[in-house]
Amino acid sequence: MHSLSGHTAVAGIGATEFSKASGRTELQLAAEAVFAALDDAGLAPSEVDGLVTYTQDGNQEIAVAREVGIGDLSFFSRVDYGGGAACGTVLHAAMAVATGAASTVVCYRAFNERSGRRFGQPDARLGGEPSSHGMEMSWHVPFGLMTPAAWVAMFARRYMHAYGATSEDFGRVAVAMRRHAAVNPAAWFYQRPITLEEHQASKWIVEPLHLLDCCQESDGAVALVVTSAERARDLRRSPAVITAAAQGSGAGQMMMTSFYRDDMSGLQEMGVVARGLWEMSGMSPRDIQAAILYDHFTPFVLSQLEELGFCGRGEARDFMAGGGIEIDGHLPVNPHGGQLGEAYIHGMNGIAEAVRQIRGTSVNQVEGTQNVLVTAGTGVPTSGLILSRE
Amino acid sequence: MRTLTEDDIECGTVLPPLHIELTPTTVISTALATMDFTPVHHDTERAQAQSSKDIFLNILTTMGLVERYVTDWAGPEALIRGINVRLGVPAYAGDTLTLSGTVISREDGEVTVQVRGAVSLGDHATGTVRFCLPC
Amino acid sequence: MSTTAEPGVAEPAATGVHERFTALAERQIELGEVRGAAAADPVNLPMIRHWTAAMGDANPVYTDAAFAGASVHGEIVAPPAMAQVWTMPGLGGGKGGTSPVDELMVALDEDGFTGVVATNCEQTYHRYARLGERLVPATRMTGLAGPKTTALGVGYFVTWLVTWYSEDEPVAEMMFRVLKFRPREEKAAPEERTRYPLRPAVNRDTAFFWEGVQEGELRIQKCGDCGELRHPPGPVCPSCRSANRVYAVASGLGEVYSFVVHHNPPVPGIETPFVVAVIALPEGIRVVGNVVECSPEKVGIGMPVRVEYREMDDELTLPMWVPRES
Repeated sequence: MHSLSGHTAVAGIGATEFSKASGRTELQLAAEAVFAALDDAGLAPSEVDGLVTYTQDGNQEIAVAREVGIGDLSFFSRVDYGGGAACGTVLHAAMAVATGAASTVVCYRAFNERSGRRFGQPDARLGGEPSSHGMEMSWHVPFGLMTPAAWVAMFARRYMHAYGATSEDFGRVAVAMRRHAAVNPAAWFYQRPITLEEHQASKWIVEPLHLLDCCQESDGAVALVVTSAERARDLRRSPAVITAAAQGSGAGQMMMTSFYRDDMSGLQEMGVVARGLWEMSGMSPRDIQAAILYDHFTPFVLSQLEELGFCGRGEARDFMAGGGIEIDGHLPVNPHGGQLGEAYIHGMNGIAEAVRQIRGTSVNQVEGTQNVLVTAGTGVPTSGLILSRE
Repeated sequence: MRTLTEDDIECGTVLPPLHIELTPTTVISTALATMDFTPVHHDTERAQAQSSKDIFLNILTTMGLVERYVTDWAGPEALIRGINVRLGVPAYAGDTLTLSGTVISREDGEVTVQVRGAVSLGDHATGTVRFCLPC
Repeated sequence: MSTTAEPGVAEPAATGVHERFTALAERQIELGEVRGAAAADPVNLPMIRHWTAAMGDANPVYTDAAFAGASVHGEIVAPPAMAQVWTMPGLGGGKGGTSPVDELMVALDEDGFTGVVATNCEQTYHRYARLGERLVPATRMTGLAGPKTTALGVGYFVTWLVTWYSEDEPVAEMMFRVLKFRPREEKAAPEERTRYPLRPAVNRDTAFFWEGVQEGELRIQKCGDCGELRHPPGPVCPSCRSANRVYAVASGLGEVYSFVVHHNPPVPGIETPFVVAVIALPEGIRVVGNVVECSPEKVGIGMPVRVEYREMDDELTLPMWVPRES
């Protein structure tokens, strides 16, 4: 059995504008992003034979195919667990291409998350349905523990207790992301940096999380074209080769509420992804020049640095000190501004940024970028990628 | 059958409790014996039509049972002087009325007993009974 | 009728109506004592016997001529509490005549104060009535108070005094008070608690837990074969594959393992801020619940707590955690 590493690449990226009210349907957003990604790659819709999206996406593959003018599909798939699906869609697409199940697969995520259904709002129905997910939620929703911020805050409190991290440490993540977004014209928070004092002064959402520890909510769509590395070399853009792709779920895993297993100070599922990425790529953290770390809430950026091995357990606060994850630090994280600064497109916009970093076309370009590591949603079963320049 | 004397009674004396099963027969026979023919005291359907759970004791019976409770204990020649009752929850057929009492004062030959009549829903009647012992 | 009626804060009724009631009450009070129709029957042994039998009252002074004759009474006497019985209208109503209370009661009915419950009955017995005496009631309206807000609705307390005479001698008196109230809207009575909106899904794998909470027990799933404790529960033991499930009842003690204070956004059914915690139990498992009866600033990791059970509505009970001394 041969490795998936190096056989496939991201050949095109596309997106809509990122807004708070797109003014159009999620299907239209999906179609626009897919067109943009295909145009970026220099491919026609008729050349696409595979589509992958998130289980949570409101647009079925067949609907997107109809809208865009894609003909026969030989592969279609969906990846579960919210934002944890992001890199997983690329893994599924890469596997389909590597095995011959499809030749050109488009991954997409499109939603009106701000003007439509907002994930951050309490929904009493979460605990109401007798599915396994509903039963899981039923241990938490009756007590009002029912928003992503609250679930993450439960881990953050334990992390602070275990390692002496403070709210200011979390705040430094937000400050770095807003610094990056401030010079990214595509970012919602373009030209709007924040200070640590502003972070500390922002209202409580769920203690210990302030408002500025939580990412924004956005309308928008992103699409990616995955094809073989060989074919990608002949296309319009230089390929971002998929050196590694992995999904991860840990023992005793739950959807944001894995409170019943380990000491709650890490992210077991991200540890699974990390092992997968390092094993498939044959690399180590030293080989990575920039990282796209899922930042829906600041505390999990610290946990990810540790799970991925960029620093030791409990050392992330020191790793980040003095701008360590900023554009000029020792590991630039989310040069586009992340979901805290650019937009919340469920992690898909981060993969697009990783591709730009590989191509050398980012507004916050990191010098000498050879390999970029990308992660997906945290606290949920998740996924990751290492993309490389040829 | 002996009536208590002054020596038998002092402040704080607790009366033995009396449990009365409120069968439909109890509720209906007492209502009719007190000449109260209001349907809620003998007609279950009519009682339920007025949002009651069942037929229930009428007030004249409550007064009578409180009186009986005290004279059962004090004896046949105790002279009842007065009964003050504050009315609470209904005493429905099927429930049990438990009467309890405590002597709370003894002045100028008059004894006051504090009485409580409780049912499963709570206090049906609370109040006092005053009586004198024969000289 | 008797139902709890607690007087509370007064609510203004329509001014005109209230003044009309007050004026009517004053007029009736001024009338003073008004004699009613005499009892249909004199005090008699058959009715006494029926009464004592129904009440279970074995006092021989009421029915045993020999005993009564040798007693302080010297003859058979009627139970004092029967005073009102003698002048009851009986089946068919009789020719009772009107009392000063009637007009006010009708006026209250007409203005929607249709409910009535008796709240107080105070009887004073001047002497025991003897066989053959024919009692005559006389009624005096003594008071109108209201409008008052009560558990039953807004209403007026109406008080009157009845005196039973034998010839011109008062034998017994009764102060009687009723609440005439405006019944609440039909849908409000019987009053149902607001349904708590945050409900768990319950299935055959988890029902034992929620039933336990309802009964005041914190139940932890236990494998019927290997004995492993597990929470949250599931259908199959991950250690030994057994589907044979029993449960252990937890001590109800625990300590805060982690916690959050929820401020935003608002959550249906709960006032913010509120505390949710992961509680570590000495039994070796963790559960999630609210920490209550403790201000959020005082909650900390390691804080000892014990379980309490809160009825959220008529159907749902939730375990909650309160601070305890370590």
